[in-house]
Amino acid sequence: MNVNIRQLQAQKAKLKYVTVRMYNVGFGDAFLLLLPTSEGTRKILIDCGVHAAGRNTNFDIKEVVSKIIEDVTDKGMEPYIDVVICTHRHQDHIMGFADARWSDVSVGEVWMPWTEDPKDSEARKLKSLQSRLATQLTDSFARRLLAPSISEPEKLRLSGLKDLAVNSMSNTNAMKTLHDGFSNNPLHRYLPPSQRKEHTFTTENLPGVVVHVLGPSRDPDVIRKMNPPAAQSYLAMNECASVGQSIRPFRESWAIQPPGFESAYPHLAVPARLKNQLDRTDTEAEELLAASLDQAVNGTSLMLMFQIGSAYLLFPGDAQWGTWQAAMQDTQWRELLGKTTFLKVGHHGSHNATPVEFVENILEQDNFQGMVSVQKIDIWKNIPRAPLMSALRDKSGGEICISQEEDDTPPRFRRSDDNKVIEFDVSV
Amino acid sequence: MPTRQTGTRVQTPPRRPLKIYAFDPMLGRNVGNKIVLDVRNEPLAPGPYGQRIQVMDYDGAAGVYYEPVDLNAPEVLVQSGLEPSEADPRFHQQMVYAVASKVLENFEVALGRRLTFRQNKPLKIYPHAFIGANAFYDPKLVALLFGYFKADQMDPGANLPGQTIFTCLSHDIIAHETTHALIDRLKRYFIEPSNSDVPAFHEGFADIVAIFQHFSFSGILRDKIQQTRANLREPSPLISLAEQFGYATGKGQALRNAIANPNPSDYQTMFEPHERGSILVAAIFDAFFQTYQLRIRDLVKLATDGSGLLPQGDLDPNLVNLIANEAAKAAQSILTMCIRAIDYLPPVDITFGDYLRALITADYELSPSDQFGQRAAIIEAFRIRGIYPDSVSSLAEESLLWGSTDDYESLPEFFPVEQLGDLLRREAAEWSRSPATMQFEHVQSETCEESANSTWLGTSYDDPFVDLDHNVVQALAEYALKNRKALGLHPSHDLKVSVTGFHPVFRVAPTGDMLVELVAQFTQSEREINANDERELGGLPMRGGTTVIASASGKIKYVISKPLLSPNLTPEQWERAEQRKLRQIRYVQEVDVRNPLTPYCDVTSEQYRTRMKNGLSFAGIHRGLQK
Repeated sequence: MNVNIRQLQAQKAKLKYVTVRMYNVGFGDAFLLLLPTSEGTRKILIDCGVHAAGRNTNFDIKEVVSKIIEDVTDKGMEPYIDVVICTHRHQDHIMGFADARWSDVSVGEVWMPWTEDPKDSEARKLKSLQSRLATQLTDSFARRLLAPSISEPEKLRLSGLKDLAVNSMSNTNAMKTLHDGFSNNPLHRYLPPSQRKEHTFTTENLPGVVVHVLGPSRDPDVIRKMNPPAAQSYLAMNECASVGQSIRPFRESWAIQPPGFESAYPHLAVPARLKNQLDRTDTEAEELLAASLDQAVNGTSLMLMFQIGSAYLLFPGDAQWGTWQAAMQDTQWRELLGKTTFLKVGHHGSHNATPVEFVENILEQDNFQGMVSVQKIDIWKNIPRAPLMSALRDKSGGEICISQEEDDTPPRFRRSDDNKVIEFDVSV
Repeated sequence: MPTRQTGTRVQTPPRRPLKIYAFDPMLGRNVGNKIVLDVRNEPLAPGPYGQRIQVMDYDGAAGVYYEPVDLNAPEVLVQSGLEPSEADPRFHQQMVYAVASKVLENFEVALGRRLTFRQNKPLKIYPHAFIGANAFYDPKLVALLFGYFKADQMDPGANLPGQTIFTCLSHDIIAHETTHALIDRLKRYFIEPSNSDVPAFHEGFADIVAIFQHFSFSGILRDKIQQTRANLREPSPLISLAEQFGYATGKGQALRNAIANPNPSDYQTMFEPHERGSILVAAIFDAFFQTYQLRIRDLVKLATDGSGLLPQGDLDPNLVNLIANEAAKAAQSILTMCIRAIDYLPPVDITFGDYLRALITADYELSPSDQFGQRAAIIEAFRIRGIYPDSVSSLAEESLLWGSTDDYESLPEFFPVEQLGDLLRREAAEWSRSPATMQFEHVQSETCEESANSTWLGTSYDDPFVDLDHNVVQALAEYALKNRKALGLHPSHDLKVSVTGFHPVFRVAPTGDMLVELVAQFTQSEREINANDERELGGLPMRGGTTVIASASGKIKYVISKPLLSPNLTPEQWERAEQRKLRQIRYVQEVDVRNPLTPYCDVTSEQYRTRMKNGLSFAGIHRGLQK
């Protein structure tokens, strides 16, 4: 580990706490870390976005951006952020970056998962596939929504699915800001670096901070899983259909219409009610595909541990089981995870982003605080997952703050009167 | 069918030759990919539509039928079936029929009895059911559904970009799906995902059957032995699964293959059923390569004046023939062993460790001497992959035999053979009858509702799953009730005992001895006792069950039991039963955390409550076929 111990100790003397500020965006993530040092407060922005299906109507994303820019502008200075982090490309984590005002902000470094590296051919392939799939699925759900005879519950289901697919679209404008839209030309890091020993690093922009990159994986088997199953054939079929190409498998002369066939070969007749059951290219398959795509993009999430003095702040993005499993199997990472003193709960408190194993056997009892950024969406009753929330509350000794639960803010958390910002000071 | 009575009558031939692609059309341009498969001759109507395998070519996506092939048409007969062609749907029908028939025959020969499919129905095969890179066995329809799709535009391998790929033209996919249908017929509860080995066993076993069938293609085997200088471990289509499908879906390689370096942590971490199943595939093929080496060792020594080192250049064609014969024999022998072991499995909640014990027991019963070291090779192959059965003290052959460690307090009494009537005689007669002489029965289109009835004792014996007559079921059920304790069944009278299967088997050992055995499966479910658990188990009941193997005289040879928690159990059995329940609950959690739909599900819905029962259909699993 390339850690400059002396530098660390020197900083430790000056740093008493780190402030974690959660913007109450709704169903989305925007976090600002404030590190007071002798040379002023260092700032790390982690994500800035909100989901199409779960906007906070009292605090829209434009206003969030204004507030963040205001918060990173020191008196008499230009707005400046030491490090901007995009954990992954989902809208609910980055759509705020599409705002034009970011061009007035200068930035020290931008960190993104390696899957966003424009120079990496594997990453480009993956990204193009995921974006094509998101576009196709969005179109398909939108088309189905236009059907005249559609029932009300079906309408709700389809628009939820459409929002899910939209969330994975390429988000070009936001990504453009992150790649070259700030007022200066910041250093870009695509993490983790390919060498394992560089997965832990320090940077001059964040004195006193050791960064550990626990994910996403670069293992080819894991990357293959970032391709949602069945995506290729779905794409190929849709793309053929959209340019009017036939997907009929044989010359027309082989095909026989049912009435004629069934009287010529009664023993081969398929009962009418079975005919529909044979065609499996239905919305159910698209539903699974949309969820798989969502999971795959979440799977590209940066999973970061900030080690600051005695504090260990874990920001797993929306990392899914694959990343967690790999981290928990690695003895060094597992030990590190056990030291967590602050946890940003992944994926808005959903079932798949915080393993039971981590909560039950790795986190230390009564030794951490946590934040969940979420707003309940009617059609997704499982987010945040109630049993997980209560398990985390039990494990932390009641120190979990959920953004949507205005009336239930644990004592040491500060919620602003307008309910737009929630803060916690992590002592270092 | 009218029979020609003029002139001298020609005897009905026992076999029917049919052309197929040995692998799939992608290798079509390579020499030897078009082969003739010999299947049993049976009366056929256009379709092909036989007694147990019926090809129904209705395209669910296009809403049309395709012209069915008449395999009895003289033009077709004289050329051993239609020439392989991607453009002619009738060839597709011929190929699915031929390959599925071959798999069925392999099972029947190994198991020593005639088989039908689930609910005693024929298997329907829809070669062009839908659009999509997928194929699956649908247990409700008792049918195989094959999709077709366009090859990947960017990375199609040897396919043309955007070319139409037919999953029904892949020998391996057909064999794989047919095997699913047969396992489901033999072990109906293996379709319930009660632990991570259960779906993995279904997948791995289906791959094993598909890949081993390659070794019966003698021309291809000879070429491969010549090319690889008898080293069959070298990567090739012979030991790969579904190459075209793998390339066409952008995977850039065959879908799966039979070789992988053993790594004990894989068994701990691999979860996805196909991946986990591939551990089983690799173990079995390891054992195959071992016995193959042993079988050809003397041959190679003889051919090389004792050095064992093959000379440079092409091998002598005679040597290649001899080696190919040995390879084919070794393959058939291991495949038979693998299939036969199914009879020796518990009826519920199988693990790979159970399968190891079943393999060893079944093979030991038939040939105690282990002439080619098959059993030793299998044990070693499982050991280096970290697969150990629960509750055995060592991996010695004697400890792996079923029953040798299960210390039941009392042995069950003799099987009620006298009450089973002339079942044995009837089954034996059926087994010795050639299918070619069977009367063609015109089976009506089936209805597909699954009856809710079951063979619950005291309620109804009309279980559509079990092709047994009423008296036999009654005799067996009474036997099970009397021997609950000795069979590891729950003693509570609230808990019914179901007769899930019963059949005699007739096998000929390598020594020429005839082995006749009776195999019965009894199951119970905890559903009646504790409805709350069902929630935790995702809608699946907690099941227990016992397989009983008896000799023809009725003497009980093995009691293979996965008991429910019950006062009948010894403390060790209780402990194991408890662990099994915890494992099932944990498995549900493991499935949930990986399922991308979990976060977006309505946890209060019926669909979520029964997700383990309905959410993990084979359709679901196979949507992940292309990894």
